[in-house]
Amino acid sequence: MSRWRVFYRLLGRPLLHDPVRTGLTVLAVALGVAVVVAIDLAGEASAGSFRSSMETLTGQADLEVTAVGGFDERLLGDLVRLPHNLAFSPRVEGFARVMETGATVPVFGLDLVGDATLERAQAGGAESTFDFEGMDLETAVWAGEAVAAEPGRTLRLQINDRVLEYRVAGVLRGEGFQGVSVRDVVILDIAAAQRALGKLGRLDRVQVYEPEDESADWPAVLRAALPEGAEVVPIGSAAEENRKMLGAFRWNLRVLSYLSLIVGAFLIYNTIAVSVVRRRPEIGVLRALGATRGDVRLAFLAEAAVLGAAGTVVGLALGRILANGAVELMSLTVQTLYVTSAPGRIVITPARLLTAAVAGVGVALLSAWLPAKEAAAVAPTEAMARGRRDFEAGRGVGRRLAWGGLLALLAALASLAPPVGSIPVFGYLAAVLLLAASALAARWFVRTASGLGTRLAFRLFGIEGFLGSRSVAAALGRTAVLVGALSTATAMLVSIGVMVGSFRETVLVWMDRQLRADLFLRPAGDPATDRYATMDAALADAIEALPEVAAVDRFRAYPIRYDGMPANLGAGDARLHGERAGIRFLEGGDARQILSCLPTGPYVVVSEPFARKHDVWTGDHIRLPLGGREVDLENLGVFYDYTSERGAVIIDRKVLMQYLPDPAVSSLAVYLEPGADAEAVRDEIVARNPGRELYIATNGRLRTEAIAIFDRTFAITWALEAVAVTVAVLGMAGALLALVIDRKREIAVLRFLGASAGQIRKLILTESGLLGLLSITLGTALGTALSLVLIYVINKQSFGWTIQFHWPVGLLLAALTGVYLASVAAGLYPARLAARLNPIEAAHEE
Amino acid sequence: MAVVSIREVVKEYRAQDAPVRALDGVSLEVEAGEFVSLVGRSGCGKTTLLNLAGAMDFPTAGRVVIDGEDTARLDDAALTALRRRKVGFVFQFFQLLPTLTAAENVELPLQLAGESDVRARALERLRLVEMESYADRFPHQLSGGQMQRVAIARSIVHGPKLLLADEPIGNLDSTSAEVVMQLLRRVADELGAAILMATHSLEAAKITDTLVRLRDGRIEERRRLGAAAERVPLG
Repeated sequence: MSRWRVFYRLLGRPLLHDPVRTGLTVLAVALGVAVVVAIDLAGEASAGSFRSSMETLTGQADLEVTAVGGFDERLLGDLVRLPHNLAFSPRVEGFARVMETGATVPVFGLDLVGDATLERAQAGGAESTFDFEGMDLETAVWAGEAVAAEPGRTLRLQINDRVLEYRVAGVLRGEGFQGVSVRDVVILDIAAAQRALGKLGRLDRVQVYEPEDESADWPAVLRAALPEGAEVVPIGSAAEENRKMLGAFRWNLRVLSYLSLIVGAFLIYNTIAVSVVRRRPEIGVLRALGATRGDVRLAFLAEAAVLGAAGTVVGLALGRILANGAVELMSLTVQTLYVTSAPGRIVITPARLLTAAVAGVGVALLSAWLPAKEAAAVAPTEAMARGRRDFEAGRGVGRRLAWGGLLALLAALASLAPPVGSIPVFGYLAAVLLLAASALAARWFVRTASGLGTRLAFRLFGIEGFLGSRSVAAALGRTAVLVGALSTATAMLVSIGVMVGSFRETVLVWMDRQLRADLFLRPAGDPATDRYATMDAALADAIEALPEVAAVDRFRAYPIRYDGMPANLGAGDARLHGERAGIRFLEGGDARQILSCLPTGPYVVVSEPFARKHDVWTGDHIRLPLGGREVDLENLGVFYDYTSERGAVIIDRKVLMQYLPDPAVSSLAVYLEPGADAEAVRDEIVARNPGRELYIATNGRLRTEAIAIFDRTFAITWALEAVAVTVAVLGMAGALLALVIDRKREIAVLRFLGASAGQIRKLILTESGLLGLLSITLGTALGTALSLVLIYVINKQSFGWTIQFHWPVGLLLAALTGVYLASVAAGLYPARLAARLNPIEAAHEE
Repeated sequence: MAVVSIREVVKEYRAQDAPVRALDGVSLEVEAGEFVSLVGRSGCGKTTLLNLAGAMDFPTAGRVVIDGEDTARLDDAALTALRRRKVGFVFQFFQLLPTLTAAENVELPLQLAGESDVRARALERLRLVEMESYADRFPHQLSGGQMQRVAIARSIVHGPKLLLADEPIGNLDSTSAEVVMQLLRRVADELGAAILMATHSLEAAKITDTLVRLRDGRIEERRRLGAAAERVPLG
């Protein structure tokens, strides 16, 4: 115990006496931990506890029967007649836009009169009731409290492209119906819903309650009673599939969130290394007085653990706050790219607390290991050594460079390996190996670059530049770590910048080729929420009849499940698409030839993400349950597509109509005659279709909106990057402060030799600027290598998108300028401190 | 005219809320070419007096005039400029910048003053202290005596009128100390610089022109040295 007291006096007290630096280190760790915690919490809330809005009213049912495009309601009769005590709850589903608020909410059609399971749910103690005595079920709605505050009010809902008026019969409150939140839903009687959603005589799903007193292989029993193509799946399958689909997205964000922690690790390493350098004589004294090497190592590890623990505590609190913002950003991405979702609550569990503790303290201990080992190696004779020695700076520069080269080689090899499942494990490994290689090469780089740049620094910045450059090279042990930290953050900024910039450019080029129509129509409302809204087919015919219109491509989308994963089934006019749109094929041959072949039989083409996810390539056959039968379809080609990560199967509209004869359309691409005015035609369509709520965009507007959505999607990526850079800059400020404190005497001597306070300030700022410049140079080189891994390995294996490499010059210049200015700014306080040093006190300290 | 004139100087510091008087009514003048040694026990005020003489600090009372300029009337920038032009410092622990070579260390005061083409002047000063052949060596490649010779070259490279040396041989063996003292003597004689040196060594003080003994912040004794003085017991 007394031994610990000695260690506290020698190691703990200095931490307290240097509050700014200690605070900066703790803050850096805290930010790292906070980001990991925030992304973990937000990931779970926006995707992990993911529940599709369509799943909202799942309740306690056991199984559900579904089919692509729904099925005939007469099927329910067949099921009810089964000689078993099974209970069934039929439903139709869709979305509605609440006209008052503009919010898009799920609409459920339930059999309020005949569904016995509803009573069962009410008997379970739920507050919601469906008292429809005396109600006109055609116009009655039961709405969640967020949709309608009180019964009796009129509720105007846009369903598909029509606005309908309803009367609120009841308000669903609290946990609501069947134990699931109903705050944001609207419930109609099933017949009214079928009419409103354009699904007369059809059902979307039937939920099945297994009997408690009878056991059997119920899925098999049901399947035997159902036609081909209808699926029986356990309740919650869709949520599980969505979770699987979101796996890669969450993994990528999680890995990105570790970045700040890696940068934080560099800084802990630096703090402990500086601590060792400063206290070599004290360590020598301790060793001379009987402390073992193990004692010394333990003491420094304890110092790191204290910094890590403090960072973890602060980081946890900060992470919880950041999680709110992160949920919003992540939900936006999930919603845009994947599936309609309702973010769950943010819940801190013991497991997450443990993750945070391991992240904070574990990383601190790991990064302090080397300096602690160095401290343990201090010989008792060093107690007598005068002055301070830098942390073994010059030693092993060449050896480290060689190791760095080897790791870079291993990274290249790892990037060639295939993914594990849909997770690009070897891609991540390649990225980590590259980061490690760069960290190992940092010393060589700093020494060489500052050596070569000394004369240039002198020419540019005078004697201050010269001195700054020399001192960067002299304090290699510290400056290389700083450059390592900031270059890592910069590299990620560059790599993500290049990746996003390349992706953006690829999408722009793709849109240029693909989006050739003059006008695009779909039902008004939020397409990210209501993905499969439809419009009356007659609308398409009417538009086609307009004299200014040359052609109309009718597109219909259905959600499908393929190989246990959600995907889209789309049907359009393939021949028209071949003639008009510039679809590009990754494989399968000439686009026009493929598309002209598509209407001639049971053929499909699939999008690149679908092909990669399900390993379906040209010539392969896929089986889809369509209209009551399993249809075998041959894939004629794989096309580039960036609309959805879940992947799409495209079939000709006429072919699909043979299986699913519903003529309603999801969207229309309208091609105008040469010279026709798109805006005028748009106005004419609106004028001729009063009562229809349509979103009609000209080509330019659609592109602008698409790219705006794209940019919003990557907002969270940039937020994570910003935190990593902040951590690095904070660390830099702390480390520069340490450099100033350790060079007090040198600074004082300069003052004695005639340096003005301004020159001292300039010297420190030149050093911070130089460190920033070195970091940016190394970071840009590393970032370029990482961007190749991101684009060609991680992104492709995670999402299945081919991205063309592109340098977003403006974006990178702006980002790197920002980093550089931040690195210079990190030197402001240390520079001020240095300029204010009392040279007399400092010069005579010994 | 005296290069440095210290008149009725008082210097007080605050230590744990109580004022401590480091110098108490000290007056001293050093002429061009004059070599003055300050002797006395640790804490008697030698270093404080040097700092005041070098315009590194201000007196609580009294005046310090360097080459006709009253330091109390100058701001920080003007004081810096004054030091750059007229004052040189030599320290006990040499205080060479470890990242610079001997020649670069010597060039430093000129470069800080914004002068160019400084290498020739630095080499000339290194020649004066017989260290020209070590111009490209770093401090850690030199002995203590060699480092102090380089430090002396650095202190005179800009031709200062006043050289302040704080225990310049306090960290040297006797042979090196002898060499350094001879060098300082030459600086006073050949370059005409006024030198004010704090030292513990009475042996070293023998080479100076004037010995000033400080005790508790006051001048206890002031004596002209020379051939006769060498015979005077100083201890």
